[in-house]
Amino acid sequence: MTQPLPLALAPAVPPSGLRRQLDRWFAPPEADSRRTTWPALMLFLAPALIIYAALTAYPVVRTFYNSFFTIADIESAKFVGLAHFAELARDKTFWAAVRNTAIWSAVAPLLDVATGLLLALCLYAGVPFARFLRVAWFTPVLLSYVVVGIMWVWIYNYDWGVVNAMLRSVGLGSWARSWLGDPNFALAALMITHAWKWAGFNMVVCLAALHSLPSEVLEASELDNCGWWDKLVHIIVPMLWPTLLNLYILAFIGKMKVFDLVWIMTEGGPLWSTETVSTYVYKRAFNWNTFDLGYPSAIAVVWFVVVVGFVVLFNLLFRRRERLEY
Amino acid sequence: MPTIRPLLLRGTLAVLSGAFCCATLSLPASAQGAGKATEPQTVTMWSHWPDEAAKRGFVEERVKRFEATNTQCKVNLQFIQKSDLYASVKTSVRTGQAPDIFWLEPDEIAFAKSGYLEPLDSHIELKNLEDWARSEWTVNGKVYGLPVEAYTVELYYNKDLIKKLGMEPPASMQMTQAQFTELVKKAAAAGITPLANGVGDRPYPGAYFLQEVLLRKLGPDDYKLLLTGKLSFTDPRVIEAMTWVKQLVDAGAYPKSFSTMKLGESHYYFHTNPGALMFPIASWYTGRAFVAPEKGGQPKGFPLGIMKYPALENSKCPECKTLAVGGSYVMYSRSKNKECAGKLLNSIATVENGTRWLEEVLLQTGIRSDANRMQGIWVLYFKELQERSKGAKFFVGTPLHYLSGKCADTFSQVLNRAFPAGQMSVQDAATQMDAACKAS
Repeated sequence: MTQPLPLALAPAVPPSGLRRQLDRWFAPPEADSRRTTWPALMLFLAPALIIYAALTAYPVVRTFYNSFFTIADIESAKFVGLAHFAELARDKTFWAAVRNTAIWSAVAPLLDVATGLLLALCLYAGVPFARFLRVAWFTPVLLSYVVVGIMWVWIYNYDWGVVNAMLRSVGLGSWARSWLGDPNFALAALMITHAWKWAGFNMVVCLAALHSLPSEVLEASELDNCGWWDKLVHIIVPMLWPTLLNLYILAFIGKMKVFDLVWIMTEGGPLWSTETVSTYVYKRAFNWNTFDLGYPSAIAVVWFVVVVGFVVLFNLLFRRRERLEY
Repeated sequence: MPTIRPLLLRGTLAVLSGAFCCATLSLPASAQGAGKATEPQTVTMWSHWPDEAAKRGFVEERVKRFEATNTQCKVNLQFIQKSDLYASVKTSVRTGQAPDIFWLEPDEIAFAKSGYLEPLDSHIELKNLEDWARSEWTVNGKVYGLPVEAYTVELYYNKDLIKKLGMEPPASMQMTQAQFTELVKKAAAAGITPLANGVGDRPYPGAYFLQEVLLRKLGPDDYKLLLTGKLSFTDPRVIEAMTWVKQLVDAGAYPKSFSTMKLGESHYYFHTNPGALMFPIASWYTGRAFVAPEKGGQPKGFPLGIMKYPALENSKCPECKTLAVGGSYVMYSRSKNKECAGKLLNSIATVENGTRWLEEVLLQTGIRSDANRMQGIWVLYFKELQERSKGAKFFVGTPLHYLSGKCADTFSQVLNRAFPAGQMSVQDAATQMDAACKAS
């Protein structure tokens, strides 16, 4: 049986990767003139860390903690374990909110990106008044959701809104409806509003990507008598694909958390047809005439996990794609 | 030679202690000397009604008079829209930062049940409050709100338009089911909107008509059972009432813009543009309508009438009517200025102020008052309002005063919004209400 060697006699083994890293972190200052001591480091890091801990980390941790309690009373909270999560599984309004958010997150970014690309192509092709149009199309991005929401509530108004007025003026009065009051159309109406607001942002990004395309490829396609449609479908879009994908994912993640526009325009109605997870959390926490913060915290926790899950998934997909491409 | 580290540390400490001293010195006197009656106190008061001049004026005047007679108390009065006020207050009561006094309605009684409100029993003269109004704010024998505003649910109408349709309300001012159906159909055929409600920013006005019909059909006892989940919405009497309302809806009773029209807009829709035949709304109609036309009030000489809600045949209580407490003032349980806050509330809770409220706001109040002393140009209106309540059997509280949580949300989405908008069948609406509200 072999006996372990006393420590002093053990052969010198090169430190592992982790050990090397730790050695480097905790090395005395003289070992690396660019490094300073921990107290000095903490002094400079503390303000940022305190702000992060107070405004981000603590609320997140507290929300997780709250989700296991019923908190209605000023003095006490009652531990309920996983009861809120079990109730969530049976909550029809929550599932309606999940369905609406999923539809919005999956479909609306397509509309956003397609509109942005279309506008960028118009500018790229050199339409008349391109400078003016570029500013005009980008302006909605600068407006707040409150302004956009109120404006579009007016645009969709049944009696005097622009949409219905236009329909009536071309003899399609029977198509006029209360766009935000009809459960079949309300969500689509909101998605269009959202696309209108963000089209300018997508346009700017697409336009920058279009200008950075290699001109020799486009010129070669023209020499080969490639029509504008084929050029768009077979050359421009494939070359823009990484940009379009990035825009889609950004929009997807943003829409998973959509709140402001919905709250201003419909408050989740009619009949929960525009309820999103964020509006439902807010309603349960601050709008219902009840005081429990535990249940809305449970919804927030579940949705936090879902959003983080998607972020991780997209990261993995992107990494794999990068490896394939390069 | 001193190194840079100790210097940095010393500097940081100096800055921190300086900031702490400044922060301490800049604290308001009320916060530093919390609870000391002899020191000046600044009472923070948040009120709704920023756009209702008469109510706002009434409150401002009461505060001004209070400050003049109580020099040790100052009042920081702010008027905030109801939705914003509720959102702020619901957050701030949890963190100890709510105002000393704030505006609340009895459907938010959860504030009291959760310990966020101070009982007013020892602060105000309870004998100056109407018994029914006091009961709306009573939890476990303690009174938590000063019921400044009270109202009945009325059916206003345009006298000229009804004449134009060749109809008149009967002498009793209460139409039968058949007469009312005919009126709605005639108005819709003439291109006049029969009922001018909108639910864009409120969870209740769309249900006013149905709730009044249900109250009369069921009588107060069974109506209360319905609102407390002890009677099913599939009860044949409830279905009968809902079926009739659905017939009216299908006949075009409500505006097409019903779902998005806001409360303030619905007033304007009724009396000015485009003009509607009737307006089922609470008697606080006056707050928005009895101001100058250029500020959104009804036109001068507007032919305003008030009729009773129609009753279904075989209604158990045709004379029944909803009476409710509206805007009230409550005190925060963690207030540091309870003495001044209590004095302020007590100064408002007098018979004299109750009568002033009637005169100035032309609306009922939960504070005792003397309507016979009323004067002014709107006396005739107020007499008509009283006339419509003569012989009435009052049911105290609106549905939202009884419903909470999921049930209240379903009421708002289904009975307030989708059902009167014609988006749901009677059976669907009843089933959804039962699923959310029925006590197991």
